Amino acid sequence: MEIDRPDGRTRNQLRPLACSRNILNRAHGSARWSQGDTIVLAAVYGPKTGTRKNENPEKASIEVIWKPRTGQVGKAEKEYEMILKRTLQSICVLTINQNTTTTVILQVVNDDGSLLPCAINAACAALVDAGIPVRHLAVAICCAMAGSGSVILDPTKLEEQQKMEAFSYLVFHNSVLSMLPEGSLHVDGEPMEHGIITSVTHGVISVDDYLYCLERGHAASAKISDFLRRSLQSHAPSDPSKAA
Amino acid sequence: MDGKPSNSPNSFIDQMVVPGDVVLDLSSMANQTIKLGGGLRQESDAISVMKAGKLKFSRPNKYWVESSQKRYVPCVEDTVLGIVVDSKAEVGSLLYVRVVKASAGMNPELSCTDASGKAAEFGLLKDGYMFETSTGLSRMLLSSPTCPVLEGLGKKLSFEIAVGLNGRVWVNAGSPSTVILVANAIMNSESLSNTKQKIMVEKLLQKFQ
Repeated sequence: MEIDRPDGRTRNQLRPLACSRNILNRAHGSARWSQGDTIVLAAVYGPKTGTRKNENPEKASIEVIWKPRTGQVGKAEKEYEMILKRTLQSICVLTINQNTTTTVILQVVNDDGSLLPCAINAACAALVDAGIPVRHLAVAICCAMAGSGSVILDPTKLEEQQKMEAFSYLVFHNSVLSMLPEGSLHVDGEPMEHGIITSVTHGVISVDDYLYCLERGHAASAKISDFLRRSLQSHAPSDPSKAA
Repeated sequence: MDGKPSNSPNSFIDQMVVPGDVVLDLSSMANQTIKLGGGLRQESDAISVMKAGKLKFSRPNKYWVESSQKRYVPCVEDTVLGIVVDSKAEVGSLLYVRVVKASAGMNPELSCTDASGKAAEFGLLKDGYMFETSTGLSRMLLSSPTCPVLEGLGKKLSFEIAVGLNGRVWVNAGSPSTVILVANAIMNSESLSNTKQKIMVEKLLQKFQ
């Protein structure tokens, strides 16, 4: 049974994606990622020598600053910063630039639902633009439960406020091209790429529904991953690349 | 999630790769010594990519990823353009220097002479105009054979340039309009292929000459 979404999308359809890189003059790397009307600008500075007091000097450390569109920085922003920091730490190769700090600053340009996944995607693109060594890329998506067990992907703010009982932000590996024969990067019989990097859930979801969300999210992440690959490969970093 | 069925490394060489791609399978290449350059990392039997760029291979056994960044990491024997910030020479002057010693965390040591001690065009650059680009564009300008932008401009205009591998380019010519023309042509050529560069240069020259 297809739910009619206000903007006419099907349940599994994502909003149009757009990504521009290298847009800020002073930042070492920058990216602007938009999913429909949700737009986030990410800037990366670094690596700079020295780590903060609480950080381990034998590894590179990542510092995240989240700037909301309006208003002061509060608890929600701190939570976003912490989630982003943990996600980015797991994808960066921290043993390379030891005793350095890389700063990632996210500015919310517009929030129309699915904000944290948009920010994670923007931060990832900006890290690649800055040349920070990363193990693989992170692709984030928001799955919402809209009552009666149906899952919709990439909700807008209206859908988030009206329809959703629970939602989860899921971050997956990007899909990679590999020289290895099929099956060698498997852990416990599952391909590495089925692993989740981060999962943040709000609300009450049953286990079966959550596993279904994972499956839908993973399928959609392949599309975002392809888009990210195309946009990173284009030689003109300041031209926006778009996908519907 | 497409695994390439063939194991020959030729499938990825000179292709754009993205972090996470596995470009070499070491289990099928026993008894070979492979040298890994920048942007690649070893994970047990697989060589995977850390930076987005083009995978390059040089015989007999060197692999690396060529990527272009705004930030320059000093490397010995690189020639760069620097601006004086401290007392000894005139503050604010532009110098064309060579990197002698470079290591992480320390300021690199620079020299105004080449390895044998001669001046060889290093030193102060007077007049002209300096602008900043990415490291990839600097490498392209310094590549041999001469890149199409410089060749096309050189046929019709007379100017001199100094290219620093840190992304800075200095241009000097007889008249300011020539300087601006050359600078704009170089900045526009970053993402263009060879033929597109030639076309771009021809169009620019037609408009202004």
